[in-house]
Amino acid sequence: MMTAKISLRNVSKQFTVRPGRKPGGTATTLTAVDSLSLDVRDGEFLTLVGPSGSGKTTLLDLLAGLSTPTSGEVLVDGQPVTGPGKDRAVVFQQYALFPWRTASANVSIGLEGKGPDGRKLSRRERAAKAREYLTLVGLAGFEDRFPHELSGGMKQRVAIARSLAYEPDVLLMDEPFAALDAQTREQLQEELLRIWRATGKTIVFITHGIDEAVYLGQRVAVLSARPGRLKAIVDVEIPDRDGDEDIRSAPAFVEQRHKVWTLLHDEVRLAQDAGHRKILPDGAVQDEPGPEEPANRTPQGSPESQERSAA
Amino acid sequence: MSATLTKPRRPAGASAAGAAPAVGQGTPPGKPATAALASVTGAVADAAFRAGSWLWKATGILAFLALWEFGPLYLAAPSTRVFLPPLHEVLLAWGRLFESGAIQGHLAASLSRSVLGFGIAVVAGVSLGLLIAWYGRLNSVLNPLLELFRNTAALALLPVFTLLLGIGEESKVTIVAYAAFFPVLLNTIAGVKTVDPLLIRAAKSLGLNSPRLFQKVILPSAVPTIFTGIRMAGTASILVLIAAEMVGAKAGLGYLIVNAQSSFLIPDMYAGILTVALLGLGVNFLLVALERHFSRWRTAVGA
Repeated sequence: MMTAKISLRNVSKQFTVRPGRKPGGTATTLTAVDSLSLDVRDGEFLTLVGPSGSGKTTLLDLLAGLSTPTSGEVLVDGQPVTGPGKDRAVVFQQYALFPWRTASANVSIGLEGKGPDGRKLSRRERAAKAREYLTLVGLAGFEDRFPHELSGGMKQRVAIARSLAYEPDVLLMDEPFAALDAQTREQLQEELLRIWRATGKTIVFITHGIDEAVYLGQRVAVLSARPGRLKAIVDVEIPDRDGDEDIRSAPAFVEQRHKVWTLLHDEVRLAQDAGHRKILPDGAVQDEPGPEEPANRTPQGSPESQERSAA
Repeated sequence: MSATLTKPRRPAGASAAGAAPAVGQGTPPGKPATAALASVTGAVADAAFRAGSWLWKATGILAFLALWEFGPLYLAAPSTRVFLPPLHEVLLAWGRLFESGAIQGHLAASLSRSVLGFGIAVVAGVSLGLLIAWYGRLNSVLNPLLELFRNTAALALLPVFTLLLGIGEESKVTIVAYAAFFPVLLNTIAGVKTVDPLLIRAAKSLGLNSPRLFQKVILPSAVPTIFTGIRMAGTASILVLIAAEMVGAKAGLGYLIVNAQSSFLIPDMYAGILTVALLGLGVNFLLVALERHFSRWRTAVGA
């Protein structure tokens, strides 16, 4: 077996849920992720799908080092994760750009400290690097624009450039294209594959969309409804992936997509019956659909809409 | 309001400007003089339109000044006119005060006090605000106390300051600092506390440690809110200072107003009030410009 870049071993994460406003409410424990084990190979593109509330974001936070598991361990390169590190970068759904910084300054924020060699980059070097990565994501010439001057797709490109700029080994992406319109999303999916091939990063990509998961991932990890467990891993084998053909209508793609859909189908229903709500990073529970659930998620090929198209 | 009111005037200016180039197009080439004339006409129409819009915006002020000038002359009883002199008498009095250097002296006295007190308030308010917002436990201890002090009108404490610090500069600078302190403090706390948690998550994931997180994310994110507090503090400092100078001082615009009143130099009193109004307007203009400069990135966030 190959050595794993990222290794999750029996990882569980529990939250103490604050009591609600209803009288007599007491704090309860909620298991978001339950004894999950998963290996990600070096240079692999792994996508994670699961119904709402299956702990996808929790899992990403654990990988990023933004929170610690209740039990089990998260290893990167065989070393336990103790906090955020320069070997991993996160791309968030809502871009999370710093609005007072230009695109170039956003990209270079991760470079402002000391580098791995203990040397600080000069302003000029940082700007050069920012330009390099903005060019990589197709935004050459937009260095001096502020985030509010950019479209959603461009903002996410800047965010991707920012996470690539300090040259992490691992890219963790939390539904990065969910807030974009269908055309921009498709465009960025292709760009992401191109960047992945060009840089050889290990990518863990969380998504709501089955199409997106199958299109992007070499493997698709399917999570169960809460508590999040690993239900199955589907190896995506589509011949002639790099061709110009419309992969999404290739028989192999349709077959793989259906496989993932079948796996996810029951879990989605379970999640709906349980009326799962989203847990925020601080343990607060949000009613679903909440403000973090934009309405434009559904057309992305979420399990609900898949159901209709498959029927 | 004024923006919508200016609209009806636009067609007149626009049609004049539109007609002018049409004349230019109608002339055959080789007659640049006519074309130049046309463009000049256009420019003139444009300037006229702009002047018209400006005039419209100033209508309210002009009407008020006219009322001030002619009201006492024609509408009020002669006895009232003594207490409400027409504008030209006030302006003449202002001119005399300016020539003698009195108004500059009072203005300088007021300005130095308010700038000093305001400066102390900004430095203390911002630094203490950052500290309180950063350490949550400090906040829970100090918050009830701050609420109490904030809701105590600054002028109610003027006698206390006068007793403790005398009627000299210290008591006035202190009360200005006190009044300006709370808007700055509370807005700084609010600014730090309302930083988007997603940005903090992003910054942490980028490997920023606490001091750099504070310096590069929390502080810049809070700057617009802090400047809103600073602008409010600027208005408060002038307000309180004038009142303090009225109670006990030997110089300053507040003293000028009260002293003129008790010496029955009524036009001088109005000249002082006019100066205070202009000073407040100027300070606000300056601080609004500053606030806008530091919140440029926030302009289109909501759009």
